[in-house]
Amino acid sequence: MSEERKPGFLPIETNWFDRLFIAVVLWVALSLFWLRFLEPLGLSVWIAAAISVVLGVWIVRRG
Amino acid sequence: MRLKRTGFGWLLLSPTLLLLGLFGVFPFLYVVWVSFHEWNPFAANPEKVFNWANNYRALVFDRGFLASLGVTLAFVFFAVSSQVILGYLLAQAFMRDFPGKAFFRTIHTLPLIMAPIIVGSVWKLMTTPSIGIIPYLLRNTVGFDLNIGTSALAAFVITVIMDVWHWTPLVTLSLIAALVSLPPDPFEQAQIDGADRWQIFRHITLPMIAPALIATVFIRLMDAMRTVDEVLMLTGGGPGSATRFLGVHIFKEVFPRTNYGYGSAVSVIVLYLTIVVCWLLYVGLIAPRTTRR
Repeated sequence: MSEERKPGFLPIETNWFDRLFIAVVLWVALSLFWLRFLEPLGLSVWIAAAISVVLGVWIVRRG
Repeated sequence: MRLKRTGFGWLLLSPTLLLLGLFGVFPFLYVVWVSFHEWNPFAANPEKVFNWANNYRALVFDRGFLASLGVTLAFVFFAVSSQVILGYLLAQAFMRDFPGKAFFRTIHTLPLIMAPIIVGSVWKLMTTPSIGIIPYLLRNTVGFDLNIGTSALAAFVITVIMDVWHWTPLVTLSLIAALVSLPPDPFEQAQIDGADRWQIFRHITLPMIAPALIATVFIRLMDAMRTVDEVLMLTGGGPGSATRFLGVHIFKEVFPRTNYGYGSAVSVIVLYLTIVVCWLLYVGLIAPRTTRR
């Protein structure tokens, strides 16, 4: 699929599916990091999910 | 050229999509689903119990898993890099003419056609201290006592060597195919311009075989990340956890302990790591860069 758009902040050429993939990869990485280091301090993993969704939307739209 | 969007194209694709969905996508989604459950079909309660992310929560604190992740990454690095270097050198050797070339090119692919479980058995026979040829030769030539049952380093190194022996021919074959398809003109021009062998390799050969090289590295990397049978036959994951690679870890969780939920969570993470490592290699080496105006 081709799409005409201005280059985003990512250093490589991407389509929307690539950016969705990057968002999911970051979601999993952030969730595992959160479970290991931040949840024991009392911060719920749902905060990581919320951050990941915001980050994902930003990457898909502007990346 | 813009292809016409017709239902006929989807009709032609449908058998492939059906098979891919049935044997690829559905099992993957099922494993992800199971990974969010407590499920031991042979326990007092054989039902699946949804437990949110508890398997992943247990996984990030599991010392056994983290240790096997470390040894797996080390194994992948040493095995794949050795295979690529050796495979390239062998491919270059097979590009030259020498007596018996066809014979050697044929027999060097023999390891490829052996089942991994047989490779593991053969290497176990060859490395068993009392009867194996390798400990015998090492003891009688350099005075080194090889015992992969007691030495963690020896077990790890032998596992890497076994994988290199088994899979280097695949790299060689791929690179031979890439090398024979290269046009001769750039090499002749480089020689006329006075380029040395390193410059020719660095600036002509390597960029031209890069797509084949990277595809081969991806295949080997994915295979090495999920290696089980060879290692299970050779060392059983020991001594201790020295060769308990992620595949072996999953096997021991799922089969002897029948801990299906936790085993599925580890499987999902192995798949995730494999995809991430391949993607990082793709981004670092061949992904087209954005041009900023």
